[in-house]
Amino acid sequence: MAAADSPSAALRRRDLCSRGIRLAGKMRSDVIDLLDTYVERQGLDASASVAAVEGVPVAAVERWDEQTGTQRLLENLAAYRAFRVLLAQMLEEHREQLGEADTALGRALAAVLLQVSAFAYHLEELLQLESRGPPSEEGSVPPPVPHLGLFERKLRGLGVLRELAQWAIRSTRDLRQLAKPSPGSSSAPGWTESP
Amino acid sequence: MFSGWNWVAHGLCLLLNFCSLKVSGGLVQSCGHIIPESPVLALGSNFTALCILNESCLDFGNIYANQIIWKIKNKVVPKEQYREINRTVSSVTFNDTSSLATPLTCNILADGQIEQNIYGIAVTIGLPPEKPRNLSCIVHQVSKLTYPMTCTWNPGRHTFLDTRFRLKYRWPQDEFPDCIPKDVNNSCTITDVQFFVNLEVWVEAANALGKAESDRLVLDPIEIVKPLPPHNLSVNSGILPTVLKLSWENLISGAVMKLKFNIRYRTSGDTNWMQVPPEDTASPRTSFSVQGLRPYTKYVFSIRCMKEDGVGYWSDWSEEKTGVTTEDKPSKGPPIWRIIDASDSPASWTVRLMWKALEPFEANGIILRYEVTVRAKSSLSSPAEKYNVNTTNLTLKLPNGTYEVTLIARNRVGASPPSVLLIPASNSKAPVKNVRTLPKDGKLWVGWTAPNSYVLKYVIEWCLVSNSSDCIIEWQNEPGNVQGTYLKGDIKPFKCYLITVYPLYADGQGSGQSVKAYLQQDRPSKGPTVQTKKVGKAEAVLTWNHLTVDEQNGFIRSYTIFYKTVDGNETAVTVDPSKTEYTLSSLTSDTLYTVRMMAYTDEGGRSGPDFTFTTQKFGKGEIEAIVVPVCLAFLLIVLLGVLFCFNKRDLIKKHIWPIVPDPSKSNIAQWSPQVPAKHNFSSKDQMYPEGSFTDVSVVEIEADDKKSFSEQDLKPFDLLKKEKSTSEGHSSGIGGSSCMSSPRQSVSDSDEGETTQNTSSTVQYSTVVLNGYRDQAPVQVFSRSESTQPLLDSEERSEDQAGGGDGTTQRQQYFKQNGGQDETNTDRPCFERTRQITPTNEGGLVGFAQLQISGHSLQPLGLGMEKNIQKAALPDVLQTSIEGQTVRPETVEGNPPSADEMPKSYLPQTVRQGGYMPQ
Repeated sequence: MAAADSPSAALRRRDLCSRGIRLAGKMRSDVIDLLDTYVERQGLDASASVAAVEGVPVAAVERWDEQTGTQRLLENLAAYRAFRVLLAQMLEEHREQLGEADTALGRALAAVLLQVSAFAYHLEELLQLESRGPPSEEGSVPPPVPHLGLFERKLRGLGVLRELAQWAIRSTRDLRQLAKPSPGSSSAPGWTESP
Repeated sequence: MFSGWNWVAHGLCLLLNFCSLKVSGGLVQSCGHIIPESPVLALGSNFTALCILNESCLDFGNIYANQIIWKIKNKVVPKEQYREINRTVSSVTFNDTSSLATPLTCNILADGQIEQNIYGIAVTIGLPPEKPRNLSCIVHQVSKLTYPMTCTWNPGRHTFLDTRFRLKYRWPQDEFPDCIPKDVNNSCTITDVQFFVNLEVWVEAANALGKAESDRLVLDPIEIVKPLPPHNLSVNSGILPTVLKLSWENLISGAVMKLKFNIRYRTSGDTNWMQVPPEDTASPRTSFSVQGLRPYTKYVFSIRCMKEDGVGYWSDWSEEKTGVTTEDKPSKGPPIWRIIDASDSPASWTVRLMWKALEPFEANGIILRYEVTVRAKSSLSSPAEKYNVNTTNLTLKLPNGTYEVTLIARNRVGASPPSVLLIPASNSKAPVKNVRTLPKDGKLWVGWTAPNSYVLKYVIEWCLVSNSSDCIIEWQNEPGNVQGTYLKGDIKPFKCYLITVYPLYADGQGSGQSVKAYLQQDRPSKGPTVQTKKVGKAEAVLTWNHLTVDEQNGFIRSYTIFYKTVDGNETAVTVDPSKTEYTLSSLTSDTLYTVRMMAYTDEGGRSGPDFTFTTQKFGKGEIEAIVVPVCLAFLLIVLLGVLFCFNKRDLIKKHIWPIVPDPSKSNIAQWSPQVPAKHNFSSKDQMYPEGSFTDVSVVEIEADDKKSFSEQDLKPFDLLKKEKSTSEGHSSGIGGSSCMSSPRQSVSDSDEGETTQNTSSTVQYSTVVLNGYRDQAPVQVFSRSESTQPLLDSEERSEDQAGGGDGTTQRQQYFKQNGGQDETNTDRPCFERTRQITPTNEGGLVGFAQLQISGHSLQPLGLGMEKNIQKAALPDVLQTSIEGQTVRPETVEGNPPSADEMPKSYLPQTVRQGGYMPQ
């Protein structure tokens, strides 16, 4: 992993990390709020267990602390690109299902979608600073959505949002790790700030 | 001729019809057109238009480009701006489009006379858009999750054209739909923005003449947020009476923004806010305890927030919430003072203790009661009296002496520190000096010079001085280290205040020093009413009453008296304000004056009513000074006149009414030696048969005095007789009242009357009365005749020869015989007179002793006697006539003798001197 050399690049990186962390925190907060709204509007049980959804990236990872910064950024970028597609699909399905009637849920989904996009942009910028351009999105396009029933789609959407909330937490930690003075070190994150 | 004109007109009509058909067919096919078609032109630019004729029209009507006329509205464009490009195209050029207007038409002169429109265009003139400037954006939080961003900019100048503004924004990799303003051209709101991602924002303005973009802003919307203020603010009182705890909720998630706060507060009723130090609330929180508050005080709180790092905007202040701190015990004792009334009894006082209720910030709660303790300092043995009072005053009747009064205010929490007031038996300590006042900033400042001793505190008493109300005392305490203070009360302007300053010492009290003061002065509300107390010839004493305090409106600095006559100038005199009387001097006598009076304060004066008075014509004593001397002079003149007349009475009488003897009434005519005395003599004759008269008094008795004379009535004549000579004359007839107002005053003074009469050239007859004494030779005496008839020369000569006579000559009118010693006394004047007469004879003048017998005054008592005497004397008189000259006796006027008594015949007789005529 190539470290940024110039001071301005360091500042830029630090700024991106800082704002990425804040964005991840807000995204998590909004996703949690959205989950409540989604469960309520979709008529689901908040405690319902949802099995792993195909195509949804999983936040949990083994040996997290051994990952390099670039690796973290790449995994995050892949995950948020996937979420962007998934959320776009959910928004489309929501509009198809309810039209413009449930604007609150639609606006909330759109807002989260924007934040996912914004976070993906942050990650791309950070990868640019790592002297490694972001990979093309074509390689990370999720598989086509299988034809599902309505209820299954609702459950799938619930699973997407839950996993996104998990990713928001992980991304926060990843960015904190990146924001440390010696990026790429394997030491555990020292920040205690919680989003 | 007429037919020729018809042909011309007919041909013209045909041509017009033809042309109009062609033009009307122009809706489908025009004879030409203008390019550009309906252009939009920039204001101030140049412009060229071309009018292109159709070939078909050329052939049909012989119309060419050189016949084209350009018009703006109905105004022909100067041909200098035309240019014939070829035979079908004409151009017109405008150097400045500001001279253009709609429509611009291309016209042609058919046959060189008839103007026909070919084509027209509308010209739109405007400006290209300017670059929008001053683009700025703010994110207003409108709900917990809604953050619209509003951007504003300056659209620039008016373009006169339809100009579209668009707010554009984008992420580096994403484009967002433009924000199009509604109804405005300078702002637009993006409904939702995402934080923590830089957003590129700019404005694009575009119209028919061009497009312009503003500078681009790159910002993270989180940095321009104006959050909603915290809500659900609550205020709770804590355990401590000086602490209130605030709690609230934040409407913005901590995940979005960490906040800092401002807390402000004020006491209820106050308008000035206090603020909790910002550093105490610079971290995210939802509660805060405000300390250092006053007990039992109602406070109002408000809070606001913003991004913790200070980037962004402060929220509005939250709604206000109130809270009250808990009670605490009073922080100080109430200020206490007293009013002592010693008028009831010389041995005791009526002491009215009064104190002020504590201010809320001092009371620290609700005062439940006051505890007053009065202890007599003189007698330590006497117990202290305690009183619990709910009001703020207490009246006690105490024996004269020194007392210590202690006052405590108590609320639910506890008691205040005690306030102590020492009431000494007398205010014997040093007073303050130089008490003065000064109005300042609408308040009345009182200053004084402190005494040398240490003063615990000062008490300033004041009251409104008025005629209509009593002096209600107000007071206030001031610490001992000050020498001036503002009066804390409702001090009204134009009112007089009596201010007294007392110094209070640890062991006594100084006497009060007073001063009167006004917060603001004004002119007096009325002027003094002046009137006169006394008016003289050249002065007038004016008097007036002082204005009442309510009328003064300030300190009366002076009075001015204005006075004038009806047509004179007004004169002003300034008078000391302490006076109530003034004397105007140097006034004109007997003149109407109008006087008025003005009273002046520092702010001006006001005049009282006019008063008029008239000065007197004469001054005091002037009349007396004139009248008295005049009277005195008159009296003196009269006196001198009287004296003169008295002195010259004989001369005057001689000149004015000389006595002309009437021979017919002469006494001598009545006398006849043969006629015996028919009358009986009075008892006096009988008493003195010798007929020795040592004194003769002549009393004229008016004939018309009918009353009888008593003996007493005659007494005064005795006195007169003694003082005067023994012979007295009485002017008879008309001369009786010439100088001497009283006939009695005609009594001759022998000492001088004869000498004066000697100067007369007129010789009067005289009646000669002779009275011899027995065998003594009778003295020849001449008596003036009462006759007014002129004397015969012989008679006069006889009279001239009459010399001194015997001292026994007697008057016959009235006899009073005095015996004894009187005889000698009465005889002497007769001799003297005789001696005086003699020299007169030597001077050639005839002297007469006036001897008037007023016959008409004879009374029955003495009449007979007198007449007898006269008759008896006549022979003597005749005898005394000198050397046989005939003496014509005078007729006694007014008493003509009766026919039987007095013979009518005249019998002149010659009497030898010294002879005796026996009776």
